[in-house]
Amino acid sequence: MEFTLQQYFALMFGLVFTQNFVLSQFLGLCPFFGVSKNRESAIGMGVAVIFVMTMASVVTMLIYKGIFLHPSLQQYHMAQYLDIVSFILIIASLVQFVEIVLKKVAPALYQTLGIYLPLITTNCAVLGVTQMKLTEFADPAYSLAQAVWIQGLLGIFGGIGFTLAIFLMAGIRERLEAAPIPECMKGMPIAFLAGCCMALAFFGFQGFI
Amino acid sequence: MSIVNEFTKGLIKENPVLVLLLGLCPTLAVTTGVSNAVGMGFAATFVLICSNVLISLCKHGIPKEIRIPIFIVIIATFVTVVKLVMAAYFPALKASLGIFLALIVVNCIILGRAEAFAFKRGILESLVDGVGMGLGFTLALCLIACFREILGAGTFFGIPLADGLEPYTQKIFVLSPGGFLTVGLILAVSAYFKNKKDKTLKIQSNLSNGRIEREKQLLTGVEIVK
Amino acid sequence: MDIIAIVTPIVIMAIIGAILGLVLAFASKKFHVEVDPRTEEVSEALPGANCGACGYAGCAAYAEAIVEKGAEINLCAPGAGAVVEQIAKIMGLSATMNEPNFAVVQCDGDGVRNRFKYSGVTTCKAASVMGLAGSFQECPYGCLGLGSCVEACPFGAITLNDNNIAKIDEDICAGCGKCIEVCPRNLIRLDPESRVIVVRCQNHDKGAKANKACNHACIACQKCVKECPFDAIHIEDGLAVIDYEKCKLCGKCVAVCPKSLIVNLRAERKERRAIRVEKANNP
Repeated sequence: MEFTLQQYFALMFGLVFTQNFVLSQFLGLCPFFGVSKNRESAIGMGVAVIFVMTMASVVTMLIYKGIFLHPSLQQYHMAQYLDIVSFILIIASLVQFVEIVLKKVAPALYQTLGIYLPLITTNCAVLGVTQMKLTEFADPAYSLAQAVWIQGLLGIFGGIGFTLAIFLMAGIRERLEAAPIPECMKGMPIAFLAGCCMALAFFGFQGFI
Repeated sequence: MSIVNEFTKGLIKENPVLVLLLGLCPTLAVTTGVSNAVGMGFAATFVLICSNVLISLCKHGIPKEIRIPIFIVIIATFVTVVKLVMAAYFPALKASLGIFLALIVVNCIILGRAEAFAFKRGILESLVDGVGMGLGFTLALCLIACFREILGAGTFFGIPLADGLEPYTQKIFVLSPGGFLTVGLILAVSAYFKNKKDKTLKIQSNLSNGRIEREKQLLTGVEIVK
Repeated sequence: MDIIAIVTPIVIMAIIGAILGLVLAFASKKFHVEVDPRTEEVSEALPGANCGACGYAGCAAYAEAIVEKGAEINLCAPGAGAVVEQIAKIMGLSATMNEPNFAVVQCDGDGVRNRFKYSGVTTCKAASVMGLAGSFQECPYGCLGLGSCVEACPFGAITLNDNNIAKIDEDICAGCGKCIEVCPRNLIRLDPESRVIVVRCQNHDKGAKANKACNHACIACQKCVKECPFDAIHIEDGLAVIDYEKCKLCGKCVAVCPKSLIVNLRAERKERRAIRVEKANNP
């Protein structure tokens, strides 16, 4: 299965804007509301998510296509029932691995990203991106390399979409600090309404593709 | 705390969605219709009960250092069970829940209850806690879904409420912005009543230790600001 | 169903699990970082308010700095004596206590005249950014009374009095200095407990203008300057300023100030300190 340049662009644009993970697919809402109090930590979380999502996408697709759907093992239908268990295991180990390596190799980066890493294990955007197009990739028309490549792109651009959303949200919430908000709307409720407005705005991209 | 308490706390006082703000992703994603919400709620309740019981059962055999990966694998196993059962008996529901069925694994409610409750308590308590929290989750989903489905599509469980409602429904409620809007407003209403209660409680408790004067000053001071 | 269909997935999962486990075990060995267990102990001893008074990003960062970089252990303002002693015990050092600092508002403000009743943006910073500075109050230097410092205080030590002027409850004030940053008029200062003579005004205008703006504004009358036996108080740019290097805290200027805006906090602080000491002795 070959992708045209146009299809690539549609895929990327869609993941960042029209199909934005947070605002239109409701993936990764916990960190979206939890870590968006200021822009600095929002960027930290965003970069960590891009990194883990890309890695997780590539590794899970390798296992899925390379082992579960391997011609000699296909008869056991592992792709149908082992995907969730194995993927979450891989993501959890991957996050742990990144944490360990980062701590040693780049302590400065670990200082800024480290606290967000454990949160990513339960970030549904990561498991979500690995599950999103799974049935599509089960199609033998995709070769192993192609599936990994496209899934990797899903990971990167999904992560970029998440980062964009959480960064904008952090900017809005910093401004909201100075706004006169009714007592009962403070905190989460107003954050949700801000999310609503952002989702509406991103809705405007809908006609592009 | 009695067993009854363990059960009822999940419904309202410690409602996982509306009070603890856990499991937001499925809450917003599957509440476009009441039937989806009920399906998601029961699926999560099943997983929650099973994982709570199993973890409580094995709590002495699980080493503390690697408990989180073990919890996740246990939860993932039950999610797979739900997924296969649903694929066999409710294929339409499975299709409309989509990837959010698989995402029950990373629903913070389930991992949170495993970590905070089941790992420390007995089997019966964990079972009751699972049922209570699960039903609380289902209840919250249904509440949100009611608003969204009735306002957005003019239907309830997919059945049209009245003829000719079409021009009056607000499509926005079943789309993504409506999810944020509905949950935001529901949270605001619950915060409004909670604040009222908290304020009186605060003043009452301070009466006892004689700091009421300063507290009053603080309260009035805050009111001047706002 | 044949047995291989069950065994194969189990074997494959076991292999995946084993590989992941081995990789993790290898990584944690290869990339092992020595973490001093004392860091955690110190960070538990700290109050956890993350106020930043110590100059580090938060309590955890300060704990790390103490253990790894040998930072001073008496920087935690909110924790004060008890925490320093605890940290000293963990680190095996002797405790030296700093004199506690208190935030001091350099505006009496009780006599300020308002041009009109203001109800608009509710933070001082926003009000001063939007060019409202000096528009609803006659005094362009004084406390705006919108309470940004009240919100900024992590301990709830600041309140607004009846005239909407920030007042600091020194029983609660931990001297973290968060309020200093948020005050757009730079009215709040951190003073050691012993610095008891304070000029509660920042109005730099000439006498007549200042007098018009506020009953309690410095009119640069020079009385305090003449009275001071140590040459410690001067009029700088229309405002009495105390040179604390020279000031012996005798309090003579307090008596002569016609606007009673120089205050002596000695008696008040002595009383508070006595209460604090008594409380610490009989908990």
